[in-house]
Amino acid sequence: METSLPAVPRGRPAAAGRGRSAMVTAASGRRGCTPQRREPRGSPCRCPRPPARRRRPGSGTAAAAAAASPQELQAFRDYGESWYRSRKGLESRFQPREPLARQPQVTAEARCKLVSWLIPVHRHFGLSFEALCLTVNTLDRFLATTPVAADCFQLLGVTALLIASKQVEVHPPSVKELLSLCCGAFTVQQLHNLECIVLLRLGFDLSAPTISFFLEHFSQVRLQAQGADTAEAADARILAGGIAELSLADYAFIGYTPSLLAAGSLGLADRLLGHSQPLDLRVSGYSEELLRDCMEQLQLLVSLNGQSLPLLLPREVLRKCPWLRGSR
Amino acid sequence: MIKMKNFKRRFSLSVPRTETIEESLTEFTEQFNQLNNQRNEGEEPPGPSDTSPISPSEGEGQTPMAVRYRNNTQRRFSMEDVSKRLSLPMDIRLPPEFLQKLQMESPEFPKPLSRMSRRASLSDIGFGKLETYVKLDKLGEGTYATVFKGRSKLTENLVALKEIRLEHEEGAPCTAIREVSLLKNLKHANIVTLHDIIHTERSLTLVFEYLDNDLKQYLDNCGNLMSVHNVKIFMFQLLRGLAYCHGRKILHRDLKPQNLLINERGELKLADFGLARAKSVPTKTYSNEVVTLWYRPPDVLLGSTEYSTPIDMWGVGCIHYEMVTGRPMFPGSTVKEELHLIFRLLGTPTEETWPGITSNEEFKAYNFTQYRAQPLINHAPRLDSEGIDLLMNLLLYKAKGRISAEAALRHPYFKSLGERVHLLPDNASIFSLKEIQLQKDPGYRGSAFQQSARGKNRRQSIF
Repeated sequence: METSLPAVPRGRPAAAGRGRSAMVTAASGRRGCTPQRREPRGSPCRCPRPPARRRRPGSGTAAAAAAASPQELQAFRDYGESWYRSRKGLESRFQPREPLARQPQVTAEARCKLVSWLIPVHRHFGLSFEALCLTVNTLDRFLATTPVAADCFQLLGVTALLIASKQVEVHPPSVKELLSLCCGAFTVQQLHNLECIVLLRLGFDLSAPTISFFLEHFSQVRLQAQGADTAEAADARILAGGIAELSLADYAFIGYTPSLLAAGSLGLADRLLGHSQPLDLRVSGYSEELLRDCMEQLQLLVSLNGQSLPLLLPREVLRKCPWLRGSR
Repeated sequence: MIKMKNFKRRFSLSVPRTETIEESLTEFTEQFNQLNNQRNEGEEPPGPSDTSPISPSEGEGQTPMAVRYRNNTQRRFSMEDVSKRLSLPMDIRLPPEFLQKLQMESPEFPKPLSRMSRRASLSDIGFGKLETYVKLDKLGEGTYATVFKGRSKLTENLVALKEIRLEHEEGAPCTAIREVSLLKNLKHANIVTLHDIIHTERSLTLVFEYLDNDLKQYLDNCGNLMSVHNVKIFMFQLLRGLAYCHGRKILHRDLKPQNLLINERGELKLADFGLARAKSVPTKTYSNEVVTLWYRPPDVLLGSTEYSTPIDMWGVGCIHYEMVTGRPMFPGSTVKEELHLIFRLLGTPTEETWPGITSNEEFKAYNFTQYRAQPLINHAPRLDSEGIDLLMNLLLYKAKGRISAEAALRHPYFKSLGERVHLLPDNASIFSLKEIQLQKDPGYRGSAFQQSARGKNRRQSIF
């Protein structure tokens, strides 16, 4: 295996492999997250691309961190607190419960592979990080209800992506485009059928709270504070976005709520960037202990993915991460 | 095209030493299979689901039961194999006899989740089944849905059945997915209730509570002359529903009188959330029908793609005006005409009233006449000064300056409704307070007339 760092992971979060050997879930999940597979250039959504897809220039984790408009700021002042409370209140309802526990074929490693594939795919289509988070949530909650055969696991991945895009994107990718990325292994009819099955099995409960939302929220809270360092806030937001994106692919994080992962990613990003005014993580409402554990796990994830992470970050931020530079 | 190829190939990089895309997929599948074999050979005794057949829709009352998976851990894969052995049913629309047979066998399935069994029992009493509802008159037809009035055999209540056709190239329509997933999280007295979802072979039927009228019909029925007191009660309910949505970061995006449903008690409910989460509002539907522009804010008309709560507030202002005056505020049929009507009444925007407007390319291209703002009171003489003030705060060019729904509820205009309206729990109707009562609308023509007059055409535009 190409993993550069500890082959045997240190203390896993309890949620990782309850009942099952932690090795299978966490370790292999992580090892699956190896570099290469991603586009060698920093932000894939930047490079001009052939016809077909309309790409939103400001898509992906990086650009999503761009400064909010005055209108959005006003809306945040009016409703930010209420948005936070309502999303937070929905978290437990949408938290996947051991999605692989009853899966005879799908493993943590397979899941990692699939999500690692969905990451470049969502960037390819210029979809938002929000859409990616929803995709993974839909995928996991569906896995918790229904055993899925290995050979249609990829189909489930694109189906979840399609459903998520239909929820939050102006231009969801077309069925044809999605299927062609699967190299024609599946038919339109199969995708339609599976879409139906997923929608019904989940009872159309699809508007899950996402890491993307909480990253945005905590960053806004930070900006509202007096004398906030906007540059630090923006950098942390971008790096945290990259870390959070990695965490989606790792089954070890399945038990962590989106708000905890968002807070942990921001805390870690601040630390890695050596910020002088880091986000006060108490806004997340989590205990110091939980936050510390989450950040430790994320730090491990980052060190294991020293080669993948740079691919998720724009140059400007990458320049500020000398600890990642060697791997580039 | 080359890029595209590269892109596909890049995925295959995760599967090293692969030459072609096809092979990469084979290998992708093979890897899954290997993992699976490893696991099966490993320490773990197979769980109950390993030995029993697996079906993607086991235990689902109303879904056609699917073909089961064969759990053949020893298979070898080739391309043909992959497509042949896909464990998903090629077509879940199976003959009913077959479904029945499968259903009979379903008790052998691994222990169902408790939620599933709960769902099964709900289905026993009739939820999720089309037979539970009697279809009555057709209420309207749109691009992706047909709406019928219906009656529930369970409760004898009237319902609105929104039938969504699923036979689209792209599968389930975005509008349906958005509407259902959002409504499931919205429980409020001023938002239409989704009672049930029924999935049949070719369509999805959403069962909503039935309300007799929409605001457009209501206005028609009272000869476009509403009591100003009732206008206030309707406005308050509209803002209450909207504040609830906005508080959950959900925008409506398509507010108009036809989307505000009203029952005989005078309860107003927001309906049709199909566009609620889309980032841009289309100007035309899929079948090329024009979407009304009358309630759309000028920033959106000028191409703004901002996605934020103030975009709904403009429409609230237009609706307020329409209720008070009995006529639509800006009934433009093209974007240019719509903007022209707005500017003629509220004044052509300047840097002062709308910072940044003079550098907006679209605005410059239209080259509008410089109009001065007219006093709104001249156009809505029945509205008191507080009402005018609220209206002006809703109809601001500068989106960020528009009053929020939450703040509008506290506007002095509503002071006469008393304090208790602010303490209502989400699911309580405003009419649960005895001090809140509708007055007779001066132009009201009686209910016998209203049924025959407009009943047929109602809600056309919603869908």
